[in-house]
Amino acid sequence: MLEILSPRLVGELLVNGLLFGAMYGVAAIGLSLIFGTMRIIFLAQGAMIVLAGYCAYWAFALLGVDPYVTMIALLPVSLVVGAAIYQLLFRRAAAIEDKNTSLLIAVGLMFMLESLMSVAWTPDPRSITTTYTATSFDVGGMPVSITRSIAFVVALVATALVTLFLKRTLIGKAVRAVSENMTSSMLVGISPHRVNMVAFAVGIALAGVAGCTLASTYAIDPYFGFLFSLKALIALALGGLGNVGGALAGGLLLGVIESGSSFFIPGWGDAIGYLVFLLVLMFRPEGLFVRSVKKA
Amino acid sequence: MKTNASSLAALAAFVVVLACVPLVPGALDHYGAFYLFLVFVHIVLAQSWNLVAGYAGQISLAQHAFFGIGGYTTAIVATRLLSDETFYFNPFAMLAAGVVAALFAAAIGVPLLSKLAGDYFALGTLGFGEIVRVVLVKGGSFTGGSFGIAMSPAPFDTLAPHYWVGLGLAVAATAAVYAVSRSRLGLALMAVREDPMAAAASGVNVLRFKVLAFAIGAFFAGIAGSLYAFYVFAVSPVGFLNLNWTLYPILMCVMGGSGTVFGPVIGAFLMTAVFSAATLWLPAAHPILSGAMIIAVMLFMPNGILRVRVARSRRAPGGGWRPKRLLRGIEQPPGSVGVATRAPAGSWRGAQPGEEP
Repeated sequence: MLEILSPRLVGELLVNGLLFGAMYGVAAIGLSLIFGTMRIIFLAQGAMIVLAGYCAYWAFALLGVDPYVTMIALLPVSLVVGAAIYQLLFRRAAAIEDKNTSLLIAVGLMFMLESLMSVAWTPDPRSITTTYTATSFDVGGMPVSITRSIAFVVALVATALVTLFLKRTLIGKAVRAVSENMTSSMLVGISPHRVNMVAFAVGIALAGVAGCTLASTYAIDPYFGFLFSLKALIALALGGLGNVGGALAGGLLLGVIESGSSFFIPGWGDAIGYLVFLLVLMFRPEGLFVRSVKKA
Repeated sequence: MKTNASSLAALAAFVVVLACVPLVPGALDHYGAFYLFLVFVHIVLAQSWNLVAGYAGQISLAQHAFFGIGGYTTAIVATRLLSDETFYFNPFAMLAAGVVAALFAAAIGVPLLSKLAGDYFALGTLGFGEIVRVVLVKGGSFTGGSFGIAMSPAPFDTLAPHYWVGLGLAVAATAAVYAVSRSRLGLALMAVREDPMAAAASGVNVLRFKVLAFAIGAFFAGIAGSLYAFYVFAVSPVGFLNLNWTLYPILMCVMGGSGTVFGPVIGAFLMTAVFSAATLWLPAAHPILSGAMIIAVMLFMPNGILRVRVARSRRAPGGGWRPKRLLRGIEQPPGSVGVATRAPAGSWRGAQPGEEP
């Protein structure tokens, strides 16, 4: 077994894992923002990602619009959609102590989106094939796909932007304050509904970004989203809550774990991902990348 | 819950009427009989979740895993150990399904429940379900891979045996939840749900009761899986490890009122009716309708039908009626010393100092 472990192979597994993990990371950051402020698991995140992927697909198939152009165009739209989802569906539930309500609303939304997409566009897998999809460039003798690299760069940029937003803007600081302590932040005059809405808007915008990059890299089908939500959750748990950089790092780590384990024990990649997830939840619930002491 | 003689008699009469349905000529060929059978399966599952989440307060997202484990156990026992003529509704196979599921629940319950609470426990159980799915798909000839295991077809040419067994199991599951709710066990579970720290301080072994509830819930989910396996006489990862087997029962519980004895029953009747109607008349739109239904129920009656009724008639605090508070952040019970000693609501694991050894 070990003699086939050439540096080149390890390199390829690493690069592949990192590039795919970047998309888990972007989805995880969205989940992290929503979980941070509202304490709910927004399971429909994956379905939103796939929906954005379909937007990119149809824009390309019907109008010939490049998926990365669609991604930019989708940004304001998805911000509005995210805010609308909060106002229409979660505003009431956010004020209820019982978190089952919000969880189930997210599940209902996921069901609806999945089947709407399936009815409207058939369950066939779709992928965007542009002129540059098949091209790749060499890094030290390894071919690296250009679309995956773009996805990676987009993920890094998105992470940087969200970090800047959280650290530099007033509303971003409010989001962090609410994640830290809802009661105290209400006492200093932060409106929880406004913060929740912003978190949702940014979370869905990230889903839009992830969707467009995903559709230009991999084939999507309407039911792919749930799996993606689960993966994003794992990435979130690995990286630690309320930690944007950690969520991205968690996604990258998950990508590497999956690419490695699916090479050595084909078919078990998913199970190993979940196993790591369970172990991290149990033994490092604050995430793998947190150096600071416990908050409370 | 009213427990006087007249309501018990009404219930018994209702069960007897249900039991007589297959005796009506032609009734079993009607879709209604199949609907009732599905209701029974869902009642068993919903009660299993009700025990874990409604009473013990631990949101499990792994009931489909136990359902699947039950179904697979049944199929493996039936195809390997029993002769083809006698295996249908073999009590041994059904009990084995429940027991194996309960053993799995105990085995994962101890580590998960001792370490995780709240959302984190929910996520952990979700992860467990996914691991079970992968293990079943990769189980080779033992689990039949992604195709699953086919059992020989039922020797019955009517739905009646399935119907009666289903009814019996639904009644048994509901009776079990009733018995638990009236017992010291139920009292302990509710104490754990309301405040684990206070329960531990009062001498309740929090972990043991959580694991017990989780295992009993898994037992019923496993039995439901067994019943369903006998109905479709084939088990597959897609059919049995489907998250719907967790989500639908949750919906039924929450809609009817989780943490009540009959809420899940009402929820099962209503939601199965909605799903069946959608399947019959709007096959393509079924999941869309289900999704819309879930959202509508959650938006407009998040406490469930039974809870709303109870609250209106009694307005009793603590009777399940939770006043809508402004936001979760202020849900800390009066008298708790504040954030410093208690993890913030919804932190990765609600710290439960009483539980630590």
